[in-house]
Amino acid sequence: MNWRKWNNILHRDIGYLTVGLTIIFAISGIAVNHIADWNPNYKIEKNAFDIGTVTAVTEEDMVQEVLQKLNIDAEKYKSFRSSPQKLQIFLDNQNIELNIQTGRGNLEVIRERTLLHDFNFLHLNHPKKIWTYVSDIYALALLFLAISGMFVLKGRKGIKGRGAWLVSIGVLIPIFFLWLYKYL
Amino acid sequence: MHMFRFLTIIFVVLLIQFSFADEGKDKQYGQTLSLDSVTVISDILASPDNYLGKKVLVQGRILDVCKKRGCWMEIAGDKEFESIRVKVDDGVIVFPLSAKGKVSKVEGILEKFELTLEQTIKRLEHHAEEQGEEFDPATVTEGMTVYQLRGLGALINE
Repeated sequence: MNWRKWNNILHRDIGYLTVGLTIIFAISGIAVNHIADWNPNYKIEKNAFDIGTVTAVTEEDMVQEVLQKLNIDAEKYKSFRSSPQKLQIFLDNQNIELNIQTGRGNLEVIRERTLLHDFNFLHLNHPKKIWTYVSDIYALALLFLAISGMFVLKGRKGIKGRGAWLVSIGVLIPIFFLWLYKYL
Repeated sequence: MHMFRFLTIIFVVLLIQFSFADEGKDKQYGQTLSLDSVTVISDILASPDNYLGKKVLVQGRILDVCKKRGCWMEIAGDKEFESIRVKVDDGVIVFPLSAKGKVSKVEGILEKFELTLEQTIKRLEHHAEEQGEEFDPATVTEGMTVYQLRGLGALINE
């Protein structure tokens, strides 16, 4: 069997193996690329409210009064006063922050984005440990796919013909942006 | 068909494993904590210059987390109305937004920033933008001195 046949077999099978991670990393890549515009991991829902002045004196009583006025039945909560006017109440996946003098505040609900949170978790290597090496192997597999891909076809559509032009364009794109944004 | 069943079982097992994996555990962010004794935040804020450039371990409830990059957390002090910010390099450590309200131990080096009026406005403006809050620059009349921890590592009780 000649080298091209082995190249194509390996390109095909390694390609199949990397489909899953490529989809995950590509979706996550787009999501985190726009981090300046949105939070790719969490949905944050903010609901403004006005419950009037909080009349209770102690922090514990203030929390009870606020929860009652907001019709929230919570057994487990934590609270903190970060300033004389500000009261924060932490519940499961929701947080309340209000000015106790005006009674105005926000109820914030934080939810993980379905799938995207998990995709980003893997893509940004939050697990560390063995996942670091799995990602390294995946990167090496991509490197192999890029190189072996150039030699899948021979002839006019291969690397000596059309392929040479397309590879050149692909290499010139990052060089152009480096010149434009870094060296110009 | 056997293969499909096998993959389904593996998928379900992994899903169950993921669902219960982190509950009630301390999750590590950044470097492993190297200090044993906790310095109370009120001590640091009472005489910050004594701790400048030193590595300290603090503990407290997480009052707020950077909503965009998870690059800072505000940690509640042991006394009312007191808190300290922990800032980490963008992307090096990412604190999860879901950590709000949870207790964290954070190790970091205390830093001091004396900001001009312009820098103060920019900082507060940037903070308000990150948090999706309104900000009126006219309310700021003088520069501020900021003490914050350059975070090295943290344990968050999930």
